Amino acid sequence: MKQPWAWVGWLIVTLVILSITRNPLYLLLILMCVLFVGLALRQAGSDIPTPFSLWKMALWIILLATVFNAITSHYGETVLFTIPGNLPLISGPVTLEAMVYGATNGLVLTGMLASFTVLSLALPVRDLVSLIPRAFFPVAVVTSIAVTYLPTTLRQFKQIREAQAIRGHQMRTLRDWLPLWMPLLVGGLEHAMQLAEAMTARGFASTRQVTGVKQVYPRIIMTLGLVLLALGWIAQLGGAGVNGLAVILTGAFFILGGLWYLGRQSPRTIYHRAGWSWQDWLTLVIAMGVLAICVLPVPGYGREALYYTPYPSLTLPPFNPLLGMAMLGLTMPGILIINRKPDEN
Amino acid sequence: MKSRLFSLTIYLAATLSGMLVLLYPFFLPAISQQAGFGTLGAGEMPMMMAFLLGLCLLVLLFEAQGLIVNTKLIALLGILVAINSALRFIETVIPGPGGFTPIFFLIILVGYVFGGRVGFLMGALTLLVSALVTGGVGPWLPAQMFTAGWVGMSTLILRPMVKTLSEKQVKWGKSAINPEIFVLAGFGLLWGFLYGAIMNLWQWPFITGPQNQSYATGSGFLATLQHYLAFYLVTSLVWDSLAAIGNVLLLLALGIPALRALRRFRQRFEFSYTPETDAVSHPQGENLAV
Repeated sequence: MKQPWAWVGWLIVTLVILSITRNPLYLLLILMCVLFVGLALRQAGSDIPTPFSLWKMALWIILLATVFNAITSHYGETVLFTIPGNLPLISGPVTLEAMVYGATNGLVLTGMLASFTVLSLALPVRDLVSLIPRAFFPVAVVTSIAVTYLPTTLRQFKQIREAQAIRGHQMRTLRDWLPLWMPLLVGGLEHAMQLAEAMTARGFASTRQVTGVKQVYPRIIMTLGLVLLALGWIAQLGGAGVNGLAVILTGAFFILGGLWYLGRQSPRTIYHRAGWSWQDWLTLVIAMGVLAICVLPVPGYGREALYYTPYPSLTLPPFNPLLGMAMLGLTMPGILIINRKPDEN
Repeated sequence: MKSRLFSLTIYLAATLSGMLVLLYPFFLPAISQQAGFGTLGAGEMPMMMAFLLGLCLLVLLFEAQGLIVNTKLIALLGILVAINSALRFIETVIPGPGGFTPIFFLIILVGYVFGGRVGFLMGALTLLVSALVTGGVGPWLPAQMFTAGWVGMSTLILRPMVKTLSEKQVKWGKSAINPEIFVLAGFGLLWGFLYGAIMNLWQWPFITGPQNQSYATGSGFLATLQHYLAFYLVTSLVWDSLAAIGNVLLLLALGIPALRALRRFRQRFEFSYTPETDAVSHPQGENLAV
């Protein structure tokens, strides 16, 4: 699987399902699916170092969410103990239901974090940058420069710190950061100067800018789209329901359409275009199928089981095996990665 | 002039729409007395907010980037965003106390020296790039980019303030106090609290807690504001105070030399390449004149 949009499709579906369910059984199942894909990627050699351990992070998130909800939310019938006194927000009964709800929220956050970690394992940063639409080519160039220059900056920071340490520099107060900070900033700005000259020498941004009607009309349409977004949001919150959503979607269509039109005016050349393989299509179609089963009222799948709440009294969360089986479709990228031939790597 | 006015309209429309999305708990009672959030459930609201804020952010980014279609600003922004993202990367590995983060220091200075639009891009792109490299991409990212962008954009108001204060200082006689750095530090203090308060709005309506701190459907604007302030005081004030104090200390300790360096480089960047119209007279690629 090399097509970035197939991965993005899988990610969006995973996030949507994670955000609509509060049933811990389904949440655990989705988390398992995501971890399976992540482990498959690691096994296949996608070993991008991350600044923190996902396992430790997950443990902290779930623990913090559980404790925070338990001491701040005092609803529920199964009282475990009571925090005495008149401490605002904290004093009151600590209930089992609040702890379960907090842990469930922690699971949702962990699932989201794990999904994005899998995406960054699956796609190199250059592929992520290539997803930036054509209309945003200056932003894409700035992002590319920043991502490329970031490791150099960290290396430079280390070198400056070592050089200052050799001279006997010690960190005692905030002002002691000055001998580290200023060479880093000035060095970076000098580098920006050289980079700008190199880019100009290679003819970057030397083409004539598109002006006039071709620039103005799409921007008017985008402004109209913004107005529709605001009106639709107010209508949605006011209880207009489907009408509000329809206005929001029309506004989104105007904005995205305007950006698409403006993007067409900026030609993009691609050295190597990632094609759509059957694996990409299969992943996308199955992900869409899972989404449809979770969002649409498909007979037999009992999507009501997704909307579980432990309040007011804790009960066992319902589990529909058919819905669970459907969710296993999210493991498809992992299955494809494990079963691919060595020459496809 | 017409073009600037048009651009300003787009900025205003995108900002107001974004604010409408973030600040809905305060005006919801005015438009609906029903419980809930229209046809959406509490679980779907964060996704919808991310979608709407993402769209507003796209329009703002498109307008702001129009300024930087030249190599100097692109290179400058790319490097400054990399430096700021490196600071956030270091902060992720070695977390500071409470909400302390070093990234707003550079966003404020860049916005102040190079202008609001560059400041907006600096804020929004710092959050984007640092999220890409630290795995912090999530539905919260559009709100973070939007708010951090506004930290940089709002530096627009500082220049007239500094100018007025400097003029008054000249009128009153010489003083050792540099009003500029104190205005910047005050601005950092304010955004230390504001950033946290805005980001809290993302989740506040869905948090259950004591009645006087929770969001209650049907409460008026003032009552909602009162509940939110109580919630903020109890849960976030200490955390955000460390962020605000951190901003002030960084600006006071490192601000003046950093400002000098940024201004020196702004002067060095103030030159332009003019493409020659007659390429025939310079056939060997000399069609760029300084």
